Amino acid sequence: MWQKIKDGFEERAGLQSLIRTKLKDYKVPGGINIFYTLGIVAVIAYVIQALTGYFLLIYYIPHPDHAFKSVQDIMNVAPFGWLPRTLHIVVSNLMVIVIILHLISIFVMLSYKKPRELTWIAGVCLFFITLVFCLSGYLLPWSQRSFWATTIVTNIPTAFPVIGDYVANILRGGDNISGATLSRFFALHVAFLPPIFLLITGFHMFLVRRLELSTPPFSTSAEKSPERYPFYPHFFLKQVFMIMVFFSLVFFMITFMPTFFLPEAANTPADPLKTPFNIKPEWYFLAPYQLFKIIPNKFFGISLQVLLALIFLLWPYLDTKEEKNILKRPLLIIFFILALTVWFSLTLWGRHS
Amino acid sequence: MRYIFISLIAILMLASSSFASYREAFEKEFLFKSWGGEETEVNACIDCHSSDIMKKEFQNVTQAWKKSWHYQNSVLCDDCHGGDSKDATMSMSHQRGFIGTPKYTEVPEFCGKCHIGILRNYLESGHGKALQTTGKGPNCVTCHDSHNIQKANIEIINEGRCTKCHTYERAKIMKQALFATENKIRDIDKELENLKAEGIYVGNEKRELFSTQAEFRALFHTIDADLVIQRTDDFTQKLNIIDTKINNSFTELNFRKNFSAFLTLIFVGLSIVVLMFSKTYKD
Repeated sequence: MWQKIKDGFEERAGLQSLIRTKLKDYKVPGGINIFYTLGIVAVIAYVIQALTGYFLLIYYIPHPDHAFKSVQDIMNVAPFGWLPRTLHIVVSNLMVIVIILHLISIFVMLSYKKPRELTWIAGVCLFFITLVFCLSGYLLPWSQRSFWATTIVTNIPTAFPVIGDYVANILRGGDNISGATLSRFFALHVAFLPPIFLLITGFHMFLVRRLELSTPPFSTSAEKSPERYPFYPHFFLKQVFMIMVFFSLVFFMITFMPTFFLPEAANTPADPLKTPFNIKPEWYFLAPYQLFKIIPNKFFGISLQVLLALIFLLWPYLDTKEEKNILKRPLLIIFFILALTVWFSLTLWGRHS
Repeated sequence: MRYIFISLIAILMLASSSFASYREAFEKEFLFKSWGGEETEVNACIDCHSSDIMKKEFQNVTQAWKKSWHYQNSVLCDDCHGGDSKDATMSMSHQRGFIGTPKYTEVPEFCGKCHIGILRNYLESGHGKALQTTGKGPNCVTCHDSHNIQKANIEIINEGRCTKCHTYERAKIMKQALFATENKIRDIDKELENLKAEGIYVGNEKRELFSTQAEFRALFHTIDADLVIQRTDDFTQKLNIIDTKINNSFTELNFRKNFSAFLTLIFVGLSIVVLMFSKTYKD
């Protein structure tokens, strides 16, 4: 009976041939390392965010009078409500780390070189959208941290002459952070960003599949014999392993460091009349935040940031040398280490300033 | 592409520097515009009282206030003394409700604007009656100080302070009557802080504790030890309700920890299985 159902389904859906062509016949280069799996880990992280987000939507109320209480109810009243909320917080932060590591590994392996320029651009766009996801997401609990960190960030566009105040007003829905801002950020977080994100992710994954994985530049075995292995099980198991490691890390943090991404100000209701001492944006915004603070002219500060973002986005078109092994590009190594050091230093400075 | 970038850099830098150099108003606007997290409130009272034009004894007032429980709870100068701290010229205007320093006998009314229950009980007490009849009884600042007001606790009742006016016998009986309840309040407060550190919102429990504590301490201001002993059971009952909620929260936290620890183990186990499985495939 079971065999009949299976055969019938197979006859109509053709799953076996799909698995064969898409998993077994699909070949990946030999010598690929675990850094190649960071992309799929990021995708899984997004899936977790979407699923936990749906659960949070059941109880969350996007109104200044109810938002904080509804989040507290999710944590303390709804059965197992703490699980999707804590997962949503921890995974959102780890996801940013995974994407940064993914970008770093792509940069170090120079995998953005022709013909993969568009894959890099789509990836950086996804990174920027992730940051907008994070920004819009952390206003939603309507806590002191949400309120004041958003105040800082929505002040940034005011540095643009002429249109600056207008842009800030569009973001906030008025002169200050209010219920209108909450509604806007909520709509952005759950309705506007996801379809844009899915579209670009689809394009990114299509390109990855279409252009195939790049050959690792450091692998001597690959140079000697450009052997290719089937995606399943060779690479597939590597991916599953890294996903399991990611889940282990997520639950390890929830068990032993439940408040690591949840400081006290995130657990205090928003009070527009009381500016808390030392309020800081999230860690991934600390470097740009500190850069703004140290550059006295705000317009220059924002121009520089836009420029840096553009350089980052269009990097494959700026680095036109054909050499694909970074070890043979000492200047690029120095530039990379310098950029990373500046970013780390600004982040630490921003944290402790 | 490189040329586009170089042009873009040139345009942005040029625009920045031209705005920065030639438009003074614009420069000022962005150079000095405060950012959300760095905003500092204007307070004319503090500015003036901290400056050298003020007499030494008045300068100390702001220093003492900054160490106080009022400061920690954002109770500002004008909340007690009236006036307008945001407008230097009108800060001491009677039109803006400026009261200034109250007379000795007016201090209870002055503090009682906020501490209503305590004022009522104090006025009915021996302390309050002495002040009203002779003008020499102890008022609020006798025990709590005027600006360096600390979070009230049972240690305020001590031999040194009470024997300034009378013997310690009655005060000691009162302290004993308060002891168990005060300790319980302190323990619950500490547990709520622990719970808060674990990421649990305790605002509602804090409010409940605060109102119970305020009611209990208001009762103390009658300085009637018999009445305190008589009502202690009511307060203990209220405190037990909060205590039960705290214990339930800790139990829930333990469950969450165990649950996620279990999931950690499951995923670590799965990682090992997948790793071993992939090794067999390599072979």
